[in-house]
Amino acid sequence: MSELITPLNEKAEGVKASRKREGRRRLIWRNIDTYLLLTPGLLLLLLFKYVPVYGVVIAFQEYNIFDGISGSEWVGLAQFRKLTHSAEFMQVFANTLLISVYKIVLLFPIPIVIALLLNEIRFTAFKRTVQTIIYMPHFLSWVIISGLFMTILSPSDGLVNSVIQWFGGEPVKFFMDNSVFRSVVVFTAGWKEIGWNAIIFIAALAGIEQEQYEAASIDGASRLRQMWHISLPGILPTIILMLILRLGIVLDAGTEQILTMYNPTVYESGDVIGTFVYRTGLGKMDYSFSTAVGLFNSVVGFILVVSGNWFSRKVLKRGIW
Amino acid sequence: MPIHKRTFSDWTLDIFVYGFMIALGLVTLLPMVHVFSKSVSSDWALVSGRVNLLPVGFQIDTLVNVVTSGAFSRAFLISAIVTTVGTLLSILVTAITAYPLSKRHLPGISFLMVLFVFTMLFNGGLIPNYLLIRELHLINSLWSLILPAMISVFNMLVIKSYYEGLPEALEESARIDGARSYTILFRIILPLSMPVLATIALFYAVGFWNDYFSPMLYISDPALKTLQLHLRDVVMENDTANAINRSADDLMNMSPESIRAATVVASTVPILLVYPFLQKYFIKGVLIGSVKG
Repeated sequence: MSELITPLNEKAEGVKASRKREGRRRLIWRNIDTYLLLTPGLLLLLLFKYVPVYGVVIAFQEYNIFDGISGSEWVGLAQFRKLTHSAEFMQVFANTLLISVYKIVLLFPIPIVIALLLNEIRFTAFKRTVQTIIYMPHFLSWVIISGLFMTILSPSDGLVNSVIQWFGGEPVKFFMDNSVFRSVVVFTAGWKEIGWNAIIFIAALAGIEQEQYEAASIDGASRLRQMWHISLPGILPTIILMLILRLGIVLDAGTEQILTMYNPTVYESGDVIGTFVYRTGLGKMDYSFSTAVGLFNSVVGFILVVSGNWFSRKVLKRGIW
Repeated sequence: MPIHKRTFSDWTLDIFVYGFMIALGLVTLLPMVHVFSKSVSSDWALVSGRVNLLPVGFQIDTLVNVVTSGAFSRAFLISAIVTTVGTLLSILVTAITAYPLSKRHLPGISFLMVLFVFTMLFNGGLIPNYLLIRELHLINSLWSLILPAMISVFNMLVIKSYYEGLPEALEESARIDGARSYTILFRIILPLSMPVLATIALFYAVGFWNDYFSPMLYISDPALKTLQLHLRDVVMENDTANAINRSADDLMNMSPESIRAATVVASTVPILLVYPFLQKYFIKGVLIGSVKG
């Protein structure tokens, strides 16, 4: 870097603390124009990220919108006690875990399979066409996707129910039936993202040395064996890293998705933490209780992501930070 | 593998691979084709449940009517404004903020980085955010959709890592000539970073365009509804009466189903039109983001 900045590192050793502090101050002063560039970003960060972080204190209050944070009564852990005793919350928590686990178990492996299979296609035009089609849903909003599936799954005139009836079955009310609603949530989430999520694995596959395949081929290994013994081990670190990242957000079962799909009939199977916070907070104006639920969610999420990253750095020598 | 003779196992694998991909492509396209067909089929065909893959009794009146309705065109305009203003401001602030943070040897920068990254891992949650917007009197203001989304730390990190990859010699000579930071940033760094800035601008644009959650929280004034919010009301609340041009004579011929399908199609088309650009730049962005990791 510039003349003005480097000397610190060279001189740093053996210089007394006071002189070092003076050096720091001089360094800051000389680069004050660089620091000033942070002003807009830092202001936005403090106002829109850190003020809400401070706002979680209302989880320890009986918050009243007229009295504000300063005037509302402090109730300690009462909201959290209410949370652990709420049968509704337990149901919501179970739904969240169920939907999330289904999504991980059923949807996490598919992008890996897609990447491995696409890697076998030599016909480039076909490969590109498939990629263009399967990446597309990633760019559609949840509202659009919800509209698409409410139409195709409609009990009266949707394509899927036409087929079911053609085979002699009874029409299924996909968005009204607690026994299938979770499947609809998992399927539509897969429809939107499995293609897109394959990209990272496709990139990892492109990084495998071509010589390995050539050598295996000369040794007479079939393409299936090459896939199993070269491709899959080659992308294994990426797979594990992505899985750890995915496990870190296990408490987000797809709030924005479910908010566009559910209705009171399927609260029993589809209400998750995020949608529950929305309903109780903004619907019933129970600000303190829903903030407590949100805080519980944020804290568990934080612990999961941080420990996942720690584990990943330890085992894979790779992490997100 | 030109010398390699194709074996039976190769053929089976190929049949499986191509079959799988064709099936995947069809499952992806099917809902879109079905809704499109419904939006351009005649109402009697729709009501009698005869529309599956192809349009029956082709017409585009419903589509035209939905697009020209006051509610749709207003919502489209609002979304266009929010997306344009939001993207320009966001990319500007994000590109500026990333610059000082790329100077890791400056005192205090690593602490500030922690301050930024922490917000990716922990947030106040829905209600404190809502109460903040309320306190700031931004309810029913389009700024409530733009300001909180303006600095995405993830996007900032992608830009920062790009800056860090630029050759330092470029900056050094400018600094010796006495140039200040903002001159260096705007004259040297930003012009060199156009590829990453374009990618991140698209990230922001798609985010603003597709966001229905913030409008749902903060906008209740019908005149300020965004396209996604309008679509949500049509799809979820069956609010189809407002979705069409009421003055039209053929109001009688339109069922809620066809209006719904037409609104979904009309809202999907803009994204599909720019999709070729999006695909190219987004893949680049994902890969830059993952290399950083």
